[in-house]
Amino acid sequence: MNKQKYFPYLFLAPALILFALFTVYPIIASLILSFQRMEQGEYVFVGLANYARLFNDSIFTSALTNTFIIFIFQVPIMIFLALILATALNNQLLKLKGFFRVSFFLPAVTSLVAYSILFSIMLQDEGLFNNILNMVGLSSIPWLSDPFWAKFSIIMAMTWRWTGYNMVIFLAALQNLSTDVYEAADIDGAGKIRQFFYITIPQLKPVILFVAILSTIGTLQLFDEPFNLTGGGPGNSTMTLGLYIYESGFEYFDFGYASAIAYTVVVLVAILAFVQFKLTEEKK
Amino acid sequence: MKKTFKIMAGIIGATMILAACGNGSDSTGSGSDNKLTAWAWNVNVPVLELAAEKFAEENPDFELEVVEMGTSDVYSRLTTGLQAGGQGLPDIVLVEDDRVQGYLNSFPGSFMNLSEKGFEEHSSDFPSYKLDLLTVDGDVYGFPFDGGPTGVFYRTDFFEEAGVDADAIETWDDLIEAGKVIKEDVGVDLIGLDLHGDDGLYRMMLNQQGTFYFDDEGEINITSEESKRAMEVNKRLHEEGLVRNTVGWDAWVGSMVEGRVAIAPSGAWLYGSITQQGPDTAGNWGVMQLPTFEEGGNRASNLGGSNYVIPSATDNEDLAYEFMEFFATTDEVQLEAMEGGLFPSLNTIYGHELFTQEDEFFSNQAIWTLFADEMDDIPGVNYTGNFAIAQDESIKAQSAITNGKDIEEALEEANRQVENRIGN
Repeated sequence: MNKQKYFPYLFLAPALILFALFTVYPIIASLILSFQRMEQGEYVFVGLANYARLFNDSIFTSALTNTFIIFIFQVPIMIFLALILATALNNQLLKLKGFFRVSFFLPAVTSLVAYSILFSIMLQDEGLFNNILNMVGLSSIPWLSDPFWAKFSIIMAMTWRWTGYNMVIFLAALQNLSTDVYEAADIDGAGKIRQFFYITIPQLKPVILFVAILSTIGTLQLFDEPFNLTGGGPGNSTMTLGLYIYESGFEYFDFGYASAIAYTVVVLVAILAFVQFKLTEEKK
Repeated sequence: MKKTFKIMAGIIGATMILAACGNGSDSTGSGSDNKLTAWAWNVNVPVLELAAEKFAEENPDFELEVVEMGTSDVYSRLTTGLQAGGQGLPDIVLVEDDRVQGYLNSFPGSFMNLSEKGFEEHSSDFPSYKLDLLTVDGDVYGFPFDGGPTGVFYRTDFFEEAGVDADAIETWDDLIEAGKVIKEDVGVDLIGLDLHGDDGLYRMMLNQQGTFYFDDEGEINITSEESKRAMEVNKRLHEEGLVRNTVGWDAWVGSMVEGRVAIAPSGAWLYGSITQQGPDTAGNWGVMQLPTFEEGGNRASNLGGSNYVIPSATDNEDLAYEFMEFFATTDEVQLEAMEGGLFPSLNTIYGHELFTQEDEFFSNQAIWTLFADEMDDIPGVNYTGNFAIAQDESIKAQSAITNGKDIEEALEEANRQVENRIGN
């Protein structure tokens, strides 16, 4: 009897061991690292000095601000677009559904680096985007060298990549919605737009919350786009928390400080996720 | 429930202890006695392999495994390995000039002290700026390899069309005036720059004036007169409308070979990219030395270049040193590097015909003589271990200046920022 009790854990052991080795250990090791600082090639404990430093670090402040600006604009725009696309592609009347679904999902399977490089080519002063603008009689935009447009470019690139991914999640959820409600709404004379706002969105609330939290985490860790498109510039205008962690560790050899930033991001993600839960909580 | 938790905690705890014990017991480098491993990127790989073949002629079972990876991958893995106390590192690593002091200062004791092995006997074979770079507290820690003597690569056809005589250009002012004429007569921009993302030209101008982000004592020097003058040149180039905004390497090289810009101040290594990517432009290129800030001033400077270091964690200390000494000081090997498009810093080969011959691509100019002659005049400058931070801030200052900020203010701001970031 006793033997059988342990049996499941035997099966779980490989996964648990790997989890402990590659997830739990690094999490704890980097927490310890965040209280340390390298001096003469040796790590010494410095207490909360790394965290204290965050408050006086203007790059950290800009990284935080930029990350939130991108978060505030990009996540809602992307979720809204994904919802509209999902609803459209769920329509019974649409032909070539498979083709459209694959097309919109395709960006999500593209390598992050490849797509960033493609965008950086298209966003050059004489790249595709400006050529098109010039063709319709508009003047060129300094996509990557102006603080405002650089942020805009990053938001645009992220939206291109992730909308399709979220669309697929919404699509799956939509297919579980009962058609009865829509039929009833039709009979009552509600238009498609009204149905979207009053039936689809409320019913998808838990899925929207799930997508919002995933996107929040993704945005707070944002790295590839600024790394490949702008390098955090011009100035600090597209520096993000993820990029700053990387630079602190690998360019400035300050792994203790990098870990402190990483832990700050963890706390922020936790707070934001909590707020999102509270905001969308079902009223009982 | 409690029991379950205990079991899980037990497994996780045990694994972590295992993970922690793993440190230190692993050995580094290659196992066999006569085999070395090296990390290097693109054109450096064939040179290493050829050197290994030649070295094996006298050391029969010598073997070299070259792991080829991108420059930034080499740094990421080197940094990670050094963080882990030397684990997983090869016997030989290639590191660029601007990075090497960062590694030597941040990880003291992690690289082989070559002076202890007697490398000083070769000192006179290398330019002093290169040895200065590799010296910490009087000892040399790396093998000088290629250098980046600078020059202004320019389009002879555009200069002719505009009636500009390159030989008459002596100062940066002359160059800017020439740029205006070329812009008007030929219709191309003078120069491709990424003023918001790279400060290569600024660094060349600093080095030319014998200073850098830091002075010889290692004090932050971004607000120096030299620095202001260099930023002034950047600013004027921009304001006169002579700059073509080229973001990233491909856009920059593209602007040259597609004939959209007339000049490209750069290290000698640009030769490879121009000749390979712009075969149509053959015969339309020339090289002159950097213009000066005042007539008769120094025209020699450096941009780029690299060195080999040996991590102290190597198992094959003696073999690694012997091989690298052979690599760094053997004419044949370095001439091979030259053929591969790298400019060796070993000066015993500068008399070879490869250096004295005229180059068809460059309108039959003996460009390598120009670069070789420059090597001894390159001022040694102090990159320090904080190069990356200072560069980050100087690029931000440059970007702000381009967007209209006052030079003095921008540089003072950069100075403060670097001070803060280093001090913390």
